[in-house]
Amino acid sequence: MGADYGDATTVLGVRLDRFDRLRETLDGDYKATFGLTTVLLFVLAAIFAPELAPYDPMAQDYAIMQAPSLSSAHPLGTDSFGRDLLSRLMFGARISLGVSLVAVTIGAVFGVSLGVVAGYFGGWVDDALMRFVDVLWAFPWLLVAIMLVAVFGQGVWNVVAAIAFAYIDDFARLARGEVLSIREEEFVLAAKNVGLTDTRIMVEEVLPNAVAPLIVQFTVLVARAMLAESTLSFLGIGVKPTTPTWGALLGQGRSLIGQAWWISIIPGIAIVVTVLGINLFGDALRDAFDVRGEGGSQ
Amino acid sequence: MGLQRYVAKRTLQAVLVVYVVATAVFVAVRSVPGDPARLVLGGDADAEAIAAVRAELGLDQPMYVQYGRWMADLAGGDLGESIFTGEPVAARIVGAAEPTLSIGLVGITIAILIAIPAGIVSATRRDQWEDYVATGVAFLGISMPSFWIGIVLLLTVGTAIPAIPSYGYTPIGEGVGPWLANVILPATAVGLPYAGIITRMTRSSMLEVLSEDYMQTARAKGLPPRLILFKHGLQNALLPVVTVAGILFALLLGGIVAVEMVFGIQGFGRLLIRSIERQDFPIVQGSVIVISVIFVFMNLFVDLLYMSINPKIKYGGEA
Repeated sequence: MGADYGDATTVLGVRLDRFDRLRETLDGDYKATFGLTTVLLFVLAAIFAPELAPYDPMAQDYAIMQAPSLSSAHPLGTDSFGRDLLSRLMFGARISLGVSLVAVTIGAVFGVSLGVVAGYFGGWVDDALMRFVDVLWAFPWLLVAIMLVAVFGQGVWNVVAAIAFAYIDDFARLARGEVLSIREEEFVLAAKNVGLTDTRIMVEEVLPNAVAPLIVQFTVLVARAMLAESTLSFLGIGVKPTTPTWGALLGQGRSLIGQAWWISIIPGIAIVVTVLGINLFGDALRDAFDVRGEGGSQ
Repeated sequence: MGLQRYVAKRTLQAVLVVYVVATAVFVAVRSVPGDPARLVLGGDADAEAIAAVRAELGLDQPMYVQYGRWMADLAGGDLGESIFTGEPVAARIVGAAEPTLSIGLVGITIAILIAIPAGIVSATRRDQWEDYVATGVAFLGISMPSFWIGIVLLLTVGTAIPAIPSYGYTPIGEGVGPWLANVILPATAVGLPYAGIITRMTRSSMLEVLSEDYMQTARAKGLPPRLILFKHGLQNALLPVVTVAGILFALLLGGIVAVEMVFGIQGFGRLLIRSIERQDFPIVQGSVIVISVIFVFMNLFVDLLYMSINPKIKYGGEA
């Protein structure tokens, strides 16, 4: 990324005309529009779950256990305790989306800090920090999750911690790579000559210029985090079984596949549609910000 | 810095990383509340028996003694024995690795067989319906959890074709046919998301190559389009794809664990989760070391491979 932005106004290093390009991209692109619309729909459903959900997600009704979709007053059917699946999905969206967002944010804060410092100083600092990142990377995140559950019991925060842990290295490597090229730019050298402190240069000069690829990375990893959350909950090492995350809902249906397939298929569809939406939106962002490379494939 | 020195430095660093991971897991398994000796003997064992077992396993020793012993064994290549069965850890891991490796290898084969043709078509027919279909399907693949694909496959293919068992695993030694019948569904479940990633990568790598000068030259020379595409285009486009496909194998592991659960396969994932539940320290430690060795050295290998492909990358990370 060059330092010469011409007349374009920048906010946090992202040229505003890039957002115009984003709008253009969204205008003609059914992919991006679909992505953004789906994500917004699910976010709204999550936020307004208490108002919108037709039933109490915890209310059990033994008269209508495992009711199939579209067959009763329950549009998506009920689970083995007669709980309304649609309501559970809507409340589950809060936890599934919330866990992913918080986890990736924490991963980004630690990872970007490590990466920027490593890339900016180079030399032995770089070596030491990146080997630390290698350790994080080589330590299986699934194991982290299992350990946390073994020590602290099941709970939302273990899932957040395990996922955040897993993504620190992704952010660190990307940020470092960006900073390596930015630190040679004239405006960074100029800032050094003026006598700005390293911390100020990193925060005010370097980081803003690395922000576009990091935003794209963030989007892609939120999508991956949702898959990771569902995997952990499915394996029973995620949230408490009573917490209705999408993965947990799906996992509860697993033993009932023969009799009530919809209990595991419908939450799965919710996961797939949301993750697909986030991925498509992330791809539109990548085009708009002109970020090279394929996200999610590092 | 010379190449040899660089390789030596990176190898040393890789060993250091594995050492730190090994130490971290040693501490981590011991910070989980509970006592393996009590788990071995069952709930109503008396204190004396538990103490005897602890002594036998060396668990009564101070932490640093246990650590020293374990490290000494490790340096000699000995991963120790399972607390529960007394079997050597290495043998347990090798035994559990066959189903996991089978699923992974067949899965990645399926992914490559789908993804590379799809990626090429997508790039050469850019912005036409073939591209949209391939891109759409690729995005769908990336967006599905493997274990859910497994469940869907069980419900559809598994029930429609009785010849495909929906449960368990048959070692390849008992015949390739039964082995493949058992492995095909879990492998597809693991492979589809990776097919999505590799399709996207092949597409963008191919698009980049198609716009290169030598492709223009080849066209100007009047070479047949097919020859240009496959000889000049594909060779160059696939290099980065193949290197990344290699490293993906390490990343498949998370998906495989959940898929093993769906299909009731006693693989590496099952071994790891069960060993953590039973606090079988040596197996957990050994498994993590094996995983981290694969990760770290695969990473190093890919770095070196990249460097040999692209001589512009200098040693020492000064990009």
